This record gives sequence, structure tokens and C-alpha cells, in this order.
Amino acid sequence: MTEMRRRWLIFLGIAVVPALLIVAPIASFLLLSLFRAEKNVIIREITFGNYSSFFGNWTYFGTFLGTVLLCLEVMGVAVLIGYPVAWFIWQQKGSRRYLLLLLAVMPLFMSYIVKLYTLRSMLGLNGLVNQALLGLGILEKPSQAFLFNQRAVLITMVVIYLPFVVLPIFLALERIPRSLLQASLDLGAGSWDTFRRIVLPLSLPGTIAGALFAFVLALGDFVTPQMVGGTTGFTIGRVIYSQFGLAYNWPFGAAMATILFITALIGILLAGYSISRQRV
Amino acid sequence: MRSAGDRLPLWIAGLVTGLVFILLYLPVFISLLFSIVEIRQGKILWETLSFRHYVTLWSNPSVMGAFSNTAIVALISVAVATVLALVLALYTEWEGAIGRRMLELVIYLPFLLPPIVTGLALLVASAELGLNRGLATIVLGHAVFVLAVAYRLVLTRLQALPHSLIEASFDLGAGRFQTLRYVLLPHLASAVMTGAVLALTLSFDETLISTFVAGDQMTLPLRLWAMMRVGFSPEINALVTLVLLVSIILAIIVAWRMKPRGQVEEG
Repeated sequence: MTEMRRRWLIFLGIAVVPALLIVAPIASFLLLSLFRAEKNVIIREITFGNYSSFFGNWTYFGTFLGTVLLCLEVMGVAVLIGYPVAWFIWQQKGSRRYLLLLLAVMPLFMSYIVKLYTLRSMLGLNGLVNQALLGLGILEKPSQAFLFNQRAVLITMVVIYLPFVVLPIFLALERIPRSLLQASLDLGAGSWDTFRRIVLPLSLPGTIAGALFAFVLALGDFVTPQMVGGTTGFTIGRVIYSQFGLAYNWPFGAAMATILFITALIGILLAGYSISRQRV
Repeated sequence: MRSAGDRLPLWIAGLVTGLVFILLYLPVFISLLFSIVEIRQGKILWETLSFRHYVTLWSNPSVMGAFSNTAIVALISVAVATVLALVLALYTEWEGAIGRRMLELVIYLPFLLPPIVTGLALLVASAELGLNRGLATIVLGHAVFVLAVAYRLVLTRLQALPHSLIEASFDLGAGRFQTLRYVLLPHLASAVMTGAVLALTLSFDETLISTFVAGDQMTLPLRLWAMMRVGFSPEINALVTLVLLVSIILAIIVAWRMKPRGQVEEG
């Protein structure tokens, strides 16, 4: 047996497990998106009908574009808040830095559904936000404005996905050699110039990666819009989910999920490319 | 020397950080508070302080059933993922490996993709195969989901091991299997454990993939979700507090294990 043949045999033996558990399921739903459903029966003929009815129907395509827009907003707000947080933690020294980092990352481990629950109770009619605004005299009576609309989805997603943004930015900042900052200051650049010309460009790949993670996670989220979005906070994730439940059109749901999959994959590959460029 | 003007950005960033931490952690304390005391018209009634809602949970069969399901799923899926991660990491670090980058992308996919895609893929695949949805499909879903973190941690440790260690083992006459058993595995053990605890934390909280593959089975997050749809109650707050407590304890264990220490001694 030649060396090459042995290597291929071992490869096949190893790769069969991820192929069965990961590639095959993804392939099966991609294939399903090319079938069609008639009265709850799946007809196995190849057709692009699901895709044409997705792009042809503004209810679906518009929801998709609206979701992408919402997720871009989530991404933007999360970076605007997350960058100062990561930068502040990076400016700290010793064990305080480690403790703050731990506090920033810990929410990643906290149950998603629990965070959703607590945020929903905070934004609600009797929630903390309303109580605080009433107490400060800003509002005269509790407002419905914070829950069951698109804005509530935005706020909740930002809070939930913020730690995913802070961590990569911090890791990128931490990689910047102190000598570069020292050199910049020694050469007479002020701290603003040093930030603008050294820190910001060198932390950009990590920031882009963090932003894209938030975008991808928000894109597929169907529980947040359902729990805090009410009737106006409709996203493509909710539409897909309903196709596998009440609406019961699996092929059409699979087609929409395929479009989501491709959008997410582009995001992931861009993030990977951005990280791979981050070699100081 | 820093002037007062230079410190302004630090103060602003510090303020933002402080507000973010309040936003992230305040809900935890509120749930805890609501689970042990009654609050009426914004006033805390301390005389109502009691832990009875925790006791009620204990005798709630649907909550306890969900809890035992969660524990079973977590233990089996983490065991499966850990063994798989170890084998895959040893393979991708082997000099004769084929398609290393492709294999890594596949391993990371279920973790990186929106959970709705991973969940749907498993749902469709199990329907095509005629598998009944239940604990077994949840275990599969969690195993592919947590595989990425277990793999990443083992791989990082494997790459940090000095190559001389393995060469020395071969020079001293150990075969491939003996090198694996007596040299590699003992060095990998702590990374494998850290990966397993991290995976356990993720499996314990996993909601979105489970939604698709659970069938009529309930895990703790799914049960919580179902309870949430009905409304707010002190009992939910008690359960929320307990779930958070478990997550935080697991997270602290992971953080403690991953704290940078001295590296593997060279030579």
C-alpha cells in the first residue's frame, strides 16, 4: 500500500464523522429548498420556485432586507458601545484588567433565554426603565414604547450580543506591542494621534471580526424578536421558524434558511479573512 | 506625562463601561430579589422574605424533568464531542493530514452559523432518516455545537507542546500508541477538561438548536421559555436565579482553568 493511499484511507476514516453529522444535514436542507410542498406533502422534483417566490414577494424579501438592516444597526451600535469598553479594559493594569475582562465576558456564559427574560421585564410597562423614568420625572405615566416593537428588538439584541464584540476587540488591542505605542509617543505624537494612527488601525481587524459575529448571530435570532418584538418586530428568522411550525411549508422555509445561510457564511468568511490579516 | 485633557477619553470610556456592566448585571440581581421578596408599587416588602419559591420548584415535576433531561443531554453530548475533538485535533496536527483547512471549517461551522441554520439542518436530516425527535437528536445537536470549542482548546494545547517531547519519546523507543498514551494524553488532559467544562456550560444554556430537534422533550431553557410565555412569576425568577448561578459557577471554573500560567517546561 502506497503512502498516499494510506493517508487517504485515514482521512476518510476520520472525516466520515463530521461529514455525517455536519455536512450531510446542511446538504439535506439545501436540497430540500429545491423541492416543493403541496398540501403538506413534499414533492421531490427539482425547482427554483421557492427562490422565485421569495424574491418575487415583497412580504418575504422586504422582511429579509429589513432584518439585514436591523442586524447592521445592532452591529453598529454594539461596536460603538463595545469599542470604548474594550479600550477601557485594555487601559487597566494587572489583576483589575483581568477582573474587568472576566466581567465583560461572563454574560457569554449566561443563559440566553434568561437574559431575554430579564431584559423583557426591565423594558416592560412595570419594568425598571419605566420606573426609573417615572422616578426622575421624565415620564408622567409608564410608556409602552420600550417593548413589543422593532426598537425593543434592537436594544435587546445589542445587550445580548455586546460581549461577542468586546472580546475580539480586546484581544486585538492586547496584541499591539507596547513598544509601538512608546515609539509613537517618543516621536512626539500626542495620545490622540497615537490612537488614530497606531491603535485604531491595528485593532481594526478584530473590531471587524467582532462586528461580523454580532451581525451573524443577530441575523438568525428568532426568539428575541418573538419575545420582545410584538407584531412590528418581524424578522426573517421568525418567518423561517413559522414555516416549520404553523405555516408548515418546509421546502419554502429551507429556501429562506438557505439565503440566510449564504449571507451568514459570507459574514463568517469575511470575519475569518479579517482575523487572518491581523498579524502585527 | 498625561494632562487632564488626555484623561477625558478614559473617563468617558470608564463611564460607558460602568453603564454597560450595570445593564449586564442588574437583571441578575433583580431576578434574585424578585425570587425571595415581594415588591409592590416599587417598594420592597422585606417581611415577605422567603425561599418558598425555590422549594416549590423542587416539587414541580415538569421543572425537575426538564432539569434531568438537561443534565443527561449535557453529559452525553459533551462526552461525545470531547472524544471527537481529541481525535480530530490529533489528526489535523498530524503531518500526513489531508484537507486540514476544509475539515476545520466544517468543525467550526455549527458554532459560527446562526443556530437556526444548524437546528434546521439537523431537523431536516433527522426527518429524512425517519428518526424520532427526542433526547437523542438533542444530544446530536449539542454535540456538533460544542465540538468547535472542545476542538479549539485541545488544538491550541497540542500546538503549544514542544515537538522535542514527541521526538524524545520516539528516540527512547516508544511506538505511536505508547507516545499517545504516555506522552500526549497526559499533557492534553487539562485542556480536554477545560474544553469539557466550557462545552458543558454551552450545552446547559443551549436554546435555539434544541427548539428544532427537541420534539416533545423539554430541556431547562425550553421549559423556561414556555413558562415565560405565560408571564412573570416569582417561581420563574427562582428558576432564573438558579440557572444563572449554575452558569456563573461553570464560567468561573473555566476562567480559573484558563488563567495564563507557566507554559509547558521545555526540554
